Amino acid sequence: MYTTLHKCYNLCKGFFRMTMDSLPTTPEVTYNWVDITTDFFKHIQDLELGELLHDGHLFGLFEAMSAIEMMDPKMDAGMLCNRGNPKPFNFQQAVECGKLKIDDLEPSEIIGVIDATVACIVSWLEGHSLAQTVFTNLYLHQPHSIINKTLKAFCIAVYKLLDCIRDCINKAQVFEEEDFLPIGYGYRLGSNPQVGNTYNANLEVSEQKCIAMLREQEEELNKKARSQEDETNELWMALAARIRFTRMFYQALLLITRRDSQSGADCVALLNGCSEMMKVIIRTVGKGTQPLEKSDSPNPMGFEPMVNQRLLPPTFPRYTRIKPRAEALQYCDELVTRLRHAWKITSATNFHTALDFFMEFSRHRACILSRSALQLLYLSPSPGATASTLLAGAGPQRPHAFLDILRDSVRSFVNPPSLAVKLAGANPPAREFVENFLLRCVRPFAMLVQVCGHNRARQRDKIAVLLDDFAALQEEAESVDALVSGALCTVLRPYFTTWILYHVLRLMIAYLLSGLELELYSVHEYHYIFWYLYEFLYGWLVSALGRAEGLASETRKADVKKSGVRKQKKRTRPYAREGLMCQVMQNMCGGYYKALVAFKLQGKLRQPQSEFDNEAVRYKHRFAPLSVLTPPQVHYHEFLELTQPLQYENPVILYLGGCKLFQQARSLLETISIPDHEVNDLLKVAKTNFVVLKLLAGGHKQDSTVPPEFDFSVHRHFPIIKLV
Amino acid sequence: MSESSVKVIEDSKLIEELDGKAKLRKWLNMNFRIEMTDGRVLIGIFLCTDRDANVILGACSEHQKSIDGETEEPRVLGLVMVPGRHIVSIQLDDTTPPSKYYYDE
Repeated sequence: MYTTLHKCYNLCKGFFRMTMDSLPTTPEVTYNWVDITTDFFKHIQDLELGELLHDGHLFGLFEAMSAIEMMDPKMDAGMLCNRGNPKPFNFQQAVECGKLKIDDLEPSEIIGVIDATVACIVSWLEGHSLAQTVFTNLYLHQPHSIINKTLKAFCIAVYKLLDCIRDCINKAQVFEEEDFLPIGYGYRLGSNPQVGNTYNANLEVSEQKCIAMLREQEEELNKKARSQEDETNELWMALAARIRFTRMFYQALLLITRRDSQSGADCVALLNGCSEMMKVIIRTVGKGTQPLEKSDSPNPMGFEPMVNQRLLPPTFPRYTRIKPRAEALQYCDELVTRLRHAWKITSATNFHTALDFFMEFSRHRACILSRSALQLLYLSPSPGATASTLLAGAGPQRPHAFLDILRDSVRSFVNPPSLAVKLAGANPPAREFVENFLLRCVRPFAMLVQVCGHNRARQRDKIAVLLDDFAALQEEAESVDALVSGALCTVLRPYFTTWILYHVLRLMIAYLLSGLELELYSVHEYHYIFWYLYEFLYGWLVSALGRAEGLASETRKADVKKSGVRKQKKRTRPYAREGLMCQVMQNMCGGYYKALVAFKLQGKLRQPQSEFDNEAVRYKHRFAPLSVLTPPQVHYHEFLELTQPLQYENPVILYLGGCKLFQQARSLLETISIPDHEVNDLLKVAKTNFVVLKLLAGGHKQDSTVPPEFDFSVHRHFPIIKLV
Repeated sequence: MSESSVKVIEDSKLIEELDGKAKLRKWLNMNFRIEMTDGRVLIGIFLCTDRDANVILGACSEHQKSIDGETEEPRVLGLVMVPGRHIVSIQLDDTTPPSKYYYDE
């Protein structure tokens, strides 16, 4: 809503600017105002009800629609400034009238300011504007004028921290406007924390200086804490923990954003330290001054929620509620945990493991900062930057780190002889075909990683776009396989084709499943979604994995034969677990499909009114992004033909069939020796649905037409069927 | 409007006095200065109105009336609609005839 309005506004602004620009610009506009209030109100009575008086050529209803409505609290950002409140003080005024202490602050007051600022930063990270969150803190308007050294150091560090966060998020390019607002509103982030146009080089603060300032305060505060015997020492301790957290968090984030591989151990240690400090901070949240009841200000002193209101564009989300302190600190604590988890990507050795890690990370709906950090930790420059530099035609001047990752990925997946280490240099043309192809893969695959970093809702659209790119790669993969086998004089084997196919199928499955997670499908649509997954996609994926294993072991055997050493190695099946999981999902989808058809036959599902219904159109839309690729799309008429027989089936038989499939899924899941969270969830779903379908087959609630419920609370894709 | 306007046309002198629409039309594309109930002043080009005195101003800027007399920099709003019930007063700038905007070079 906001964006549309904003766009309209910009359009109009452009339109009016054009008409205004044609005027000779006079340096000072003088007006001669004549009051016409009474005349105006008299004249408008000549208009009919609903009639618009306007210049038909230049201004019509369409333009009128995009006007901002004044005095509407939803559209008029300037309105809140005047609502009875006196004008907000700026830093100088607040200091002069004694509302803002810049010296002799009680430790509890500083803690209050710090905790409130953290709450503001968290609100910013949740997508609000800086002007309405962090920069409502007056201390940040002139950090160098603060006399209290602890607070000064903290305020300067906040500037640096904001800059670092913004840098990290900008580099990773996995945010959309609903995730994050990077605009600074004239507040100069970075090395020179000050406001406005005044530039003073003396106030430049480098990273090292900032860290040193914080460290100095830490020691100072710890000393104070030790020297005091009474309960005030706890206050000083609490303050010291906050300063220490700020420093370590800043340092850790700097390391992540820079992605200095030397500093791995440091970063882990810093993040662990942050977690430790966060525990103390959360425990002592009550030590600081607390916000007044019914006040919008996050802290009694130092915050003016309306101070930047007039910096905002005319149509802007008017008012930002700052996250309550306790929740904000909890968020920080989890953020640090997420960053620590994200660090593990650095030990992901192959691309497939890394990709799984990205998907798993995204599944937990991580915040924008941790999602961005993960991107930067995996690849530097970030996957987003990798994809876009190649797009810009920077060309393959230098071998890319990501290229090596992809090469290793193919090698471990299908192990083509053309990539065998021994062969290097032996057959230049084959080598070149392969290298060119891999280079072509860099962009789509980097984008794939980038897409995994986006928020869940955006991922779906982006996957659809990505499928087009992969379709192009499929064609190239086929020709590379042909060319290489020609150059090496070997039998044609689909090495690269299989590798791409595997990723394409995974994307297709992810696309269809995301619709379930995002609640885009109606219940009466479920049956063809599950049918498609059950009959085709999972089956194809299982066979692609099987083919990859076959290809990989073939080359290995050939190697063994050549080298003459007959080591009877244990046959490894690296994708056994993935294949098994695919079978589980396939069985579960089958179970849902059969149950859904039976529900439909028994009139238990609400169907759309026939005059509004066109299943063919819906089907076409749902599977449209899948239409461009080599595993040919199954069209609607095929769907009808293939599912025709089931329409005459006895529902009891269908329930029993579904029951059997859930049973199958369950026994497959139970063979997994080390079940993780995902496996346990699926097990629970499979078990419950097995029981439900068994009941239905036995005639339970046979005559009821109350629709069953699909409960996604246990698993985001696979619901528990509930009979009401 | 059929009957009354026919009568009006009979007496050309009355047109200006009676037909408010014509008067309003003359004001189109001129600068307006509207004071709102909350004290803010909007200056922009008069583009459109209706019977409830809802006014649309183009290239509008918002001026804050401050108590201590200091003038803040105006905030550019662009296209705005001011609901009639929030209008306190309307003033017209008669320094520039509206024709200038469009028919001069």
